Amino acid sequence: MNSALRVAVDIGGTFTDAVIFDPESGTVREAKSSTTPHEFSEGVFDALDVSGIDLTAIEQLIHGTTVVINAITQRSGVKTALITTPGFRDALHIGRGNRPDMYNLRFHKPEPLVPRRLRFEASERMLVDGTEQIPLDCDRLREIARLCAEDGVEAIAICFLHAYAWPAHERAARAFLSELLPEISITCSSDICREWREYERTSTAVLNAYVQPILERYLANLDATLDRQSVSDRRFVMLSNGGSATFDFAREQPIQLVESGPAGGIAGAIAIGDEIGETHLITLDVGGTTAKCSVIVDGDAAISQDYRLEWTPWSPGYPLRIPVVDIVEIGAGGGSIVWFDEGGALRIGPKSAGADPGPACYGRGGAEPTITDAMVLAGVLDPAAFLGGRLTIDPELSARAFQPIADRLELSMTETVSGVLRLFGELTVEALKLVSVRRGYDPRDFTLIAYGGGGPIHAGLLANELGVKRLVIPCFPGSFSAWGMLTTRPRLDSSRTLVSSLAETPHEKRDEVFTSMRQEAESTLASHGFQAGAIEHQCAIDCRYHGQEHTVRVPVDAESASEESFANRFHQLHAQHYTFRLDQTPIELVNFRLTSTVPVDRVRQGTARPPHATEPAPSSRTVAFAHGGPQSTAIYQRTELGAGFSAHGPAIIEESSSTSVVQSDQHFTIDRFGNIVIDRIQSSGKERPEIGHA
Amino acid sequence: MADAFTQEIIRSKLLAVTGEMGTILARTSMSPIVYEVLDFACGITDASGEVVAQDNGLCLFTGTFQPQVTSILEKFPAATMRAGDVYMTNSPYGGGTHNPDVGLIMPIFSDSTLIGFGISVTHWTEIGGKVLGSIAPDSTEIYQEGLQFPRLKLYDHGEINQAIVDIIEANVRLPLMSIGDLNAGVAAVRIADRRVREIAERYGQDALLDTFEGIMAHGEAIALQRLAEIPPGVYRATDFIDGDGISEDLIPIQVEVTIRPDRFTADFTGSAPQTAGAINCSRGALMSACKTVFKAIIGPQLPSNEGLFRPFELIAPDGTVFTATRPAATGWYYESSANATELIWKALAPALPESLSAGSYLSLCAYYIGGQHENGDYWLLTTPQDGGWGACADRDGESSLIATTDGDTYNYPAEVIETAFPLTMLRNSFNTDNAVGHGAYRGGFGTIREYSITSPAGAYLQASLGRSVTPPWGVNGGTNGSTNYFEIVRASGQIERGGRTANRPLQPGDVVRIVTGNGGGWGDPRDRDPAAIARDLADELVGRDDIAAIYNGAKP
Repeated sequence: MNSALRVAVDIGGTFTDAVIFDPESGTVREAKSSTTPHEFSEGVFDALDVSGIDLTAIEQLIHGTTVVINAITQRSGVKTALITTPGFRDALHIGRGNRPDMYNLRFHKPEPLVPRRLRFEASERMLVDGTEQIPLDCDRLREIARLCAEDGVEAIAICFLHAYAWPAHERAARAFLSELLPEISITCSSDICREWREYERTSTAVLNAYVQPILERYLANLDATLDRQSVSDRRFVMLSNGGSATFDFAREQPIQLVESGPAGGIAGAIAIGDEIGETHLITLDVGGTTAKCSVIVDGDAAISQDYRLEWTPWSPGYPLRIPVVDIVEIGAGGGSIVWFDEGGALRIGPKSAGADPGPACYGRGGAEPTITDAMVLAGVLDPAAFLGGRLTIDPELSARAFQPIADRLELSMTETVSGVLRLFGELTVEALKLVSVRRGYDPRDFTLIAYGGGGPIHAGLLANELGVKRLVIPCFPGSFSAWGMLTTRPRLDSSRTLVSSLAETPHEKRDEVFTSMRQEAESTLASHGFQAGAIEHQCAIDCRYHGQEHTVRVPVDAESASEESFANRFHQLHAQHYTFRLDQTPIELVNFRLTSTVPVDRVRQGTARPPHATEPAPSSRTVAFAHGGPQSTAIYQRTELGAGFSAHGPAIIEESSSTSVVQSDQHFTIDRFGNIVIDRIQSSGKERPEIGHA
Repeated sequence: MADAFTQEIIRSKLLAVTGEMGTILARTSMSPIVYEVLDFACGITDASGEVVAQDNGLCLFTGTFQPQVTSILEKFPAATMRAGDVYMTNSPYGGGTHNPDVGLIMPIFSDSTLIGFGISVTHWTEIGGKVLGSIAPDSTEIYQEGLQFPRLKLYDHGEINQAIVDIIEANVRLPLMSIGDLNAGVAAVRIADRRVREIAERYGQDALLDTFEGIMAHGEAIALQRLAEIPPGVYRATDFIDGDGISEDLIPIQVEVTIRPDRFTADFTGSAPQTAGAINCSRGALMSACKTVFKAIIGPQLPSNEGLFRPFELIAPDGTVFTATRPAATGWYYESSANATELIWKALAPALPESLSAGSYLSLCAYYIGGQHENGDYWLLTTPQDGGWGACADRDGESSLIATTDGDTYNYPAEVIETAFPLTMLRNSFNTDNAVGHGAYRGGFGTIREYSITSPAGAYLQASLGRSVTPPWGVNGGTNGSTNYFEIVRASGQIERGGRTANRPLQPGDVVRIVTGNGGGWGDPRDRDPAAIARDLADELVGRDDIAAIYNGAKP
C-alpha cells in the first residue's frame, strides 16, 4: 500500500463521496456511502471504509462539508448576540428595506438571526476619517457581557460603523469581552470583511458567529477520530472561494465553508480545462432539485462578493460579504415535478420531490410525475442498473404518475415524455444563457463541462441548444465535487474599502496598500503553516466613474502601473460590462482586492483504459429523445470504453453514478484522460448569437 | 394550434426577453436612478397593444403599457408603421405618469406582418423644467416640469430624427445622462424586436400568435378563478391625501369596489378635484395603481399580462386628483397613486385577509438633503425611506420596508452616506418613539434616521412625506399606526416639524430627523398572544405602560 494518498471527502445531500488519488500510480478511486445528518462525520468514515484504503496511508485530507449550510438552513445555530454602534441596534433587521416580491402586500423579510433583545448598542463611534468621536466604553461592555451571560448566549458578533477601515474598537471590544466570557466565541466584522456597507458586514459577522461553535464541535470530533486512526494532520477544508484552507482557519471563519460542495465542482472543472487545454468553460451540475451553472473565463472562476444566502427572486435572503464562486441556480432537477397550474398551463418545477419521497419510480410514496420518471419512461435510464444498482426503481410507477398528464394533453406516453424533456431542456438553457450570453460571452468560445448525477443526462441536448464548442463529461461525474477538491490550492482572499480618486492615488500609493495587504495575508498564511516564498498573489481594484454605484474589477499588474494604462484598462472593462465609457469623468477607486494562493501538485483523473483493451459490445434499446422521438440507441458501459474509442449518436453511456446521453446529431470520443468528449456532427449554420447584455 | 410544450417554451422565452430588455437597459443607462432604483419597465405587447409579457423594476408601471401603445396607434395607424420605427411618448395625459418617464415603442414585424410591440419606459434623471431633476414639489403646471414628447416618431425605418435629439440636448441640464437614458431605452426595444423575430422564425409565426392568445386566456382564467373566491358585494373606503405641497389642506378621496364573479370594478367618483400642487396623478398612473393591488389579490408572483387584468374595470371622472387633465402638474404623482392603491386595499382588507395587510406608512417619504462643498461643488443626497407595514390577519406587520411605490429598492448605508456627503448619521433604528398599531397582531415599525449636518456651509432640506396627518389604518379592531414626519433639531435646541417642504435651510450642527410611520394593527389587542406581548416587552418594542393600557386583560 502506498503511503502518500491524497483524499477528498465531500458530504452531499444524499451521499458522502470519497475520492482517492495515488500520486505514485496516478490512479483515482471513488467510494460512496449515505450521508448521516445526525452526525456527519460518521458518513465520512463510512465512505473511507467503503474505499478500503489504509487510513494511515493518507498523506493529505481535504474535506467539503455541509455542516455550516445545514446549521443555517435548519436554524440550528447557537444563541447569538450582536453588539453595534449606538443608534444602529436595528440595522440587522432594517436590512436594505427592499421588497423583491413587490406585489405581495403581506411581504416579510427573512427573520433576523439575532432577536432585538440580544442586539446591544456599545458606547463608541469612529468617523469615516478615523477620528474617534466617542471612545470605547468598557463599563458598557461589562454590562453587555453580564446580559449575554444571563441569557445563555454562546456566540457574539461585533459590528461597528467604519470598522472596515478602522477596526481598533472592534478588536479592543473583543479583547475585553473574551476576558470576561472566555467560553463564548466572538466574531468581529472586520475579521471577515474589510468592505463598507454596515448591514452586509453585520449580517456576515452574525452568520459566522451563529455557526462557529457548531463547526468547532464538528471539527473537534472529526480531528479526534482522525487522530485515533493516525491519519496525517495535513487536513484541509474546501472553501466557497474555490480554494482550500486549514481546519484552524475554518474554525475562525466557518462561514467561508458555506458553499464548499459546489466550489469543489468548479475547481474540478478548471482542472479538467487545464488538462484538455481549454480556458473558457461553462459548468453544469444537475442534481435532484436544482441545476447549477457557472462560467470560467481564462481559467478563472467568476467569484461573487455579493452572495445572498437563501436568496430567491422573491426574497432578499441573508447577505454574505465573502468571496463565493458565482453560481446561477434554477429550480430544475431530476426531482422537479411536472404539473398543470390553476390556469391549465403545463409547468415543470420549481416544486421538487427531492430525495424524499423522490420521484414516483422510487416507490417511496411519491405519486407526482418528475423529470427522472420521464427519463425512465423515455428509456434513458435503465431501471435495472439505476445508480449502479444502489436503488431499485419501478417504471410502472412512473407510467402511473404520467398517465394523467398524457390524458390531459391527449398525447401518447412517448409524445408526452419527449415533450417534457424538450421543455426541461429549454428551461435549463435559459439558466446557461444567464451565465454566458447575458454576461457578454459567446457560447461558441466555451466548452461545457457536465457533472452531478443529472448533468451528463441533459447536457447533450443543452450543448446543441446553447451552441457551445463542445461538451466534456469527466471521469467521475457523480463524485466530481470531491475530485475537484483534490485539485484546489490553499487560498486567502482579502479586501479593503479605500474610497479615493485615481488622480489622488498614484501607482506608489496603490502599491503601498497592496504591500501591506500582502504582508498581512502572508502572516495569516504563515500562521497556518505556509511559507511566504511559496505564495502567489493577484491584485485587483474595484473602480467606478465618480457618481456611480456599480464598480468594475480592474486587474493590477505590471501592465497597468501607470495612471494612463490603468485608466485605459478601466474604460475598456467598463465598456465591456456596461456598453459605454465616460473618458472625461474622474475614476474612483473603491475596493482593493488581493487573492493569495499556494500552488500544489497536479492531480490527474488517472489515465483512460488503453485503446481497444476490450472491444465494447453495446446493447441496444429504443429511447425517446426530446428531438426526433423514439430511436434505436446503442447502450455502452463506460468502463468498457478505451481511449480513442469513438462512435456516433444516438447513444447512451452508462456508469455507476451517472448516465450520459449522446444526441443523434452528435458523436463522442473517449480522450486520453478518459473524458467523454461530445461534438456536434455538423454546424447548424446558426448565425452568431447577439451577445453582450448583462 | 401550437402544442402545450411549444406554447410553454415560447412563454418562458418571452419572459426571458423582457428580463434581457431590463438587463440591457440597466446596463446601458448612465443614470443612478435607473440602474440603482430600477425605475423602469420593459414589455412586449401584441399588435393591438395588449401586454403579453412584462418585466418591472417598480410597481408604478404595472398598467401604463397598453394605453401608451394604443395612444401611439391612434396617431400612427398600424398600416403606416415600418420595421425599424421607434415611437416616443411621455404624456401623463396619454397613458403615462410624469414627464421624466419616457416610453419608447418599437413595432415588431414578422414576414411583413405587424405581430407586436416592444416597449420600455425609463425614468430620466433630468428632462428640463424649473428644477434639477424636473420634479419640483411646488410646480403648479406641467409646463414647469420639463419637455413633453407628444407621441413622436424618433426613428423612421431605422433613421433617427436628429432634430428631436438636438431639442433634448438643448433643454436638459444633464444631456449626457438623458441621451444615455434615451439610448438605453432604444437598446431595450431593439433587443425585443430581434428576440421576438427569432422566436417567430424558429417556432413559426402562428405558434407565436397562438401563444400570445394562450397567455391572455391563461391570465384571464386565473383571474376569474380567484375572483370567484371573493365574496361578491360592494366595498367602500375613504381616506385623505395629506396636503399637496402647496397647501396643507387634507384632500378627501374615496373608492367603491364592486366584486362580481366575472368583474372587479373600482369607482373613484367623489374623490377631490385635481389640485394646484404636483401630487396629482393622471388616468394612466391611476390604472397602474389599481392593477398593482388587483395583482396583489389575484396572484402577486404571476407574470403580468393583459389577460390577467381583463376582469378589472376602472370608473373615474376626469379632472380629479386621480385623473388630472392638462395642465395639471404631476411630478410627484407617485404620492397620490400610492393613496389610490391603498384605497382599494383598505376597502377589501377585511374581506381578503389572505392577500392584504392593514394600512402601511404609504408615502415613499422621499427627501433631498443637499448643499455646496467649500470648493463650490454641489452635493445632494436623494433617498426614499423605509417604513412600517400593517399587521396581517395571522402575523405581525413587517418593519422597515420600502413603500408600495417602489419594489426591489435598497436604502442607503450609513457608511456610504458618510463617505459621500458632509453628514454624520446618528441613528438608523426602529421608530419606537411613536405608538405602533396594536392588535391581536401589531403593525410593523417605521424607521428613524438622523443626519447631523457637518458641512460648514450648511445645507437645505426638501421633503415630501405623505400620511403626515392621517395615520395608517387598523383592521377589525386593530388600532391605527403613527404618521410620517420630519423634524429639524436646531443647534439651539428648537425643533421644527412638518410633512412636505420645498426648501428648508439647515445650519452646521442642525440635526434632520426623518421619522416614518408604524403600521396599523389587525384584530382586537385583547386577543394578542401573551407570549408575543412578552417578546415585544423583552425586545423593548413596547413599554409596560402601553401593555397595561392596550392589552388590558392579556397578561404577559
